[in-house]
Amino acid sequence: MNKDFMDLIRNQPLEEVLFQCRELYENVQFPTVKSWRERGGKVLGHFQVYFPAEIVHAAGILPLNLHGANVQPDQADSRFGSYLCSTIKTTLELALAGNIELDAFITHPICDAARNLGAIFGRNFEHPCEILYLPQNPNSAASVDYLRGEYDRLKRLVENIAGVEITNEALANSIQVFNKNRALLRELYDIKRETPEKIAAEDAFALVALAGRLPREDHNELMEYVLPLIRAVDAHREDRIRVVYEGAFCEQPPFDMVRMLGRAAYVVDDDFLIGLRYILSDIPIGEDPLRDLAHAYIEDSSYSPVQHDLRKRKENMLIERIRRARGEAAIVTAAKMCEPGLEEQVAYIHGLEKAGIPFFVSEFEENQTSFSGLELQLETFMENLLFV
Amino acid sequence: MTTTAENDLVGRGNREGASLFREWFSELDQGAKEGQAAAYVFVMGSFNEILKSFDLPVVFPEINSLQTAVRRVAHEYLEEAEDHGYSPDICGYVKADIGTQLRGGEHPMGQIPKPSIAVLTNACNTYLKWAEAWERMYEMPVVTLDIPGNRSANNASAPGSVDFQNDVRYVEAQIRELIAVCEKVTGKKFDIDKLREVMGNVNSLSSSWQKLLDLNKHRPSVFNALTDGTIYLGVANGLRGDARAASYFSDLVEEMEYKVANDIGTMNEEDWRLCFVGVPCYPIFRRFNEMFSEWKGTFVHSTYLWFASGGSNLGYQYDLANPIASLAEGNLISVRDAMDSMFHHDQVVEKMMDGFGIDGIVYHPIKSCRTVSTGLADGRRALAERTGIPSLFIESDMMDQRVVSEAQMKNRADAFFEGLIARRNQQLISQ
Amino acid sequence: MAYAAGVDVGSTQTKAVVINEDREIVATCLIDTGANVTQAAENAFRQCIETANILEEEVEWVIGTGYGRYKVTFGNAQVTEISCHGRGAAHIFPNTRTVLDMGGQDTKAIRLSANGEIADFCMNDKCAAGTGRFLGASASALDIPLDDLGPTALQSQNPVQISTTCTVFAESEILSWLGKGKKVQDILWGVHESISKRSMGLLRRVGIEEEITFTGGVSRNTAMVKSLEKALGCKLNISDQCHFAGALGAALFALDHIQASRLPQSKVEEATS
Repeated sequence: MNKDFMDLIRNQPLEEVLFQCRELYENVQFPTVKSWRERGGKVLGHFQVYFPAEIVHAAGILPLNLHGANVQPDQADSRFGSYLCSTIKTTLELALAGNIELDAFITHPICDAARNLGAIFGRNFEHPCEILYLPQNPNSAASVDYLRGEYDRLKRLVENIAGVEITNEALANSIQVFNKNRALLRELYDIKRETPEKIAAEDAFALVALAGRLPREDHNELMEYVLPLIRAVDAHREDRIRVVYEGAFCEQPPFDMVRMLGRAAYVVDDDFLIGLRYILSDIPIGEDPLRDLAHAYIEDSSYSPVQHDLRKRKENMLIERIRRARGEAAIVTAAKMCEPGLEEQVAYIHGLEKAGIPFFVSEFEENQTSFSGLELQLETFMENLLFV
Repeated sequence: MTTTAENDLVGRGNREGASLFREWFSELDQGAKEGQAAAYVFVMGSFNEILKSFDLPVVFPEINSLQTAVRRVAHEYLEEAEDHGYSPDICGYVKADIGTQLRGGEHPMGQIPKPSIAVLTNACNTYLKWAEAWERMYEMPVVTLDIPGNRSANNASAPGSVDFQNDVRYVEAQIRELIAVCEKVTGKKFDIDKLREVMGNVNSLSSSWQKLLDLNKHRPSVFNALTDGTIYLGVANGLRGDARAASYFSDLVEEMEYKVANDIGTMNEEDWRLCFVGVPCYPIFRRFNEMFSEWKGTFVHSTYLWFASGGSNLGYQYDLANPIASLAEGNLISVRDAMDSMFHHDQVVEKMMDGFGIDGIVYHPIKSCRTVSTGLADGRRALAERTGIPSLFIESDMMDQRVVSEAQMKNRADAFFEGLIARRNQQLISQ
Repeated sequence: MAYAAGVDVGSTQTKAVVINEDREIVATCLIDTGANVTQAAENAFRQCIETANILEEEVEWVIGTGYGRYKVTFGNAQVTEISCHGRGAAHIFPNTRTVLDMGGQDTKAIRLSANGEIADFCMNDKCAAGTGRFLGASASALDIPLDDLGPTALQSQNPVQISTTCTVFAESEILSWLGKGKKVQDILWGVHESISKRSMGLLRRVGIEEEITFTGGVSRNTAMVKSLEKALGCKLNISDQCHFAGALGAALFALDHIQASRLPQSKVEEATS
């Protein structure tokens, strides 16, 4: 348990809690992960987006959601070519530079660069470094069976690392913990949609992000404490456009950029860190929890540019998200050099145009420090919507 | 003096390969003009076996795209796609194809038919995004076949193991689903004997392909893996499953066996035996090779011949008594190998180096293809640490002239050879 | 006495070096390249033999190097600047195992084997970030002379972090820092740090082994040296000759040729077969 961080926030006023959350998110030394290790805990790092963290949790290992960080890839840079996104470089950098220490690393074929991370980590570290092959053909009748088998393979790997057997009871318990966590995160998003003036965009972002840094039980405690405080905030609703932000399914925009977005508009829904909340509703638990997890991924997971499902044409999904959130406009971004993100932008743009929804398009990089150009353009876009 | 046999044989593969390739495109052109649609497929797991058993003409958009670069018109197509919203940082193959589609199939090799179905694997993630674009343009069936790759280096699940069975069951189920879609698209009943016939042709092709690559162990090498190899790949992909390709490749093996027996090399003098890792530089295809041949260097092997043949280098032989199960197993094993040739290139190249007498490796990471390029720098580092093999690392692109700097490449190639020569002289002196 | 010469035609400056048979430098020359590359090469070479006070005929072999090496029309052969910088650096500092050459247009990291051959090399790609040009762009944005860049940057107390790696955008980022009231020296130190970070990436790619020799025009910039030493955690080899390392290497290759041509023919065949 990470009592150090939890002690900092328990019984504290909302402002102090949010301050501590922002500080923790921005701390590239990952103190909560370090203290978990110091207490003898093991850590499995998994790259974004879709990962069944429940299986890792059930073995008592900390599943660490890796999406790079705002660091310079001093050591990792020489291991990559020029035309790659930042987040795969900084993810490796965190491990090479010792900011994080792992017992295993898992990546996914979400994109061509991320799939390569498995081999790259494997050449640089002794611990297991593997690819989890999620189905890209969820439309096949055989995909749930296959995924159950693939999750079973992951379960065996995790059991080896942990040195314990993962029982169905343990797995069911973990699913319950995560169900609760997802419900709390959904509640946070309800607040964002209904009363966006009560919570700043960057604060909501930090609260979500910590789900990937803290033991989930602690995160549940944090959310249960903080949500009523947010609801009780007495804030004045300003004349700002309600926007939906799309394009942070993997690499995350820098914190200052989220802050800038929040100043320019109400971000009423988004795909920030969607990997921490990709299962959309509670997973019903039956006799075969692995199958329940596999079924939930195939039938009840959030779309993103790196999930291919004929039932979920992405521009339609985005438009649905905007309508549900009563969004007035969309901000469509992609991380620099992110191939799936940039490809999806084309579909989003054409879809939004057809639907008559105003949108703003941009690229970003996680360790960008200057936003003056972006802010100028974004403010002009908002002014156009407000005054026309 | 050259003998008649030599006159007939030597160079036959390149002549006939080029002519078969043109034949394939002219068939597509004719079909397109008659309003016939085609199956769109990719080089890593094309499932031509199934598609050709339904007599579906096949289009390889990757090959169409690279042809625009070889014919030096790629920029027109790339610009068209960029005007449509595609970023300069997106794969040039995708963009040249989008450009082709936006131009109604107009292509320097002839008219490209529209798709009636697209079949793709997950061997490259960009395939998925690419097919999604067609789905929106044409509203036709898109069938993705998941071929799970190896989960880590040197760790392929063995046939019969729990994990292999889980993967192969999934692939087989998807093949059956593909057959059902093909029946719907063509209105034809699936004919298992026709499938056997096509698979038999693929068996012959795979076994020749494996032999062909192996024959280049000979000194002097009998073909250039980069330039000649690309001609062979065009036939191996476009005419996969076709009887013409099966006989072309047995003839090619005959030619190369003759060259081996008579020590006829691809160069007059072969000083340096090189291995190419990556995707060729199509915008300056011939010139790129000259930067090495000028120094009497030749490419005796290339990872491209592994992965862009969908892993045919394994020579996997289908069991025709059990076609569907065997198609599943063969594709799982072969496409998985193609992926290893990209992600674990350091391992596969290391295994190959000694047999082929490799003096140096040329890495060509490209902006367009992150599948192939992401791990090249790190794999190069690891392989150099293990073996000390000299290598050259030059970044450019396989499509986009804007990121190909010929002078810069030449400078680096020259420096690479200067280093190789200095090293060899040093070895001579110390002997 | 026979002499050998090397002419290094760089994007900004052209360097020429003449050496004698004892591998001693007898003259050097440095001029701006300008628009006429062939002329610059010729001028540098002529000035050099004039300084050396020798006849052109006494120079038995001339090797051209640098991006304009094929424009050294009076030369006898060409060798790339990568080989030449490696050779030159190993001559100036015989224990050199790693060379960083920073010129106007590109930056190279070169790793040498124990006997001085090139074991590996790596260069910046198309973009000019991390090269002398980046410094040039910063100097013009801040309107200070190129030679004052280093000394000014060394006065920095609170360096800023330059995030752009694009030479074109560097100017606007520098102006925005000025707008925020940052001091010129702090911005400049940030520029130097940003370049040394890029160079570290190249160096790591070839593998860093001591001793490390810094060559090329930028090696005269004291702030660049300090920033690189900070990043490397060790001292760099530098000398006045480092600026001429490429031309010197070319001259040494030329001398090799002269000496090899004097060997009995049978030995030459043996060595080249």
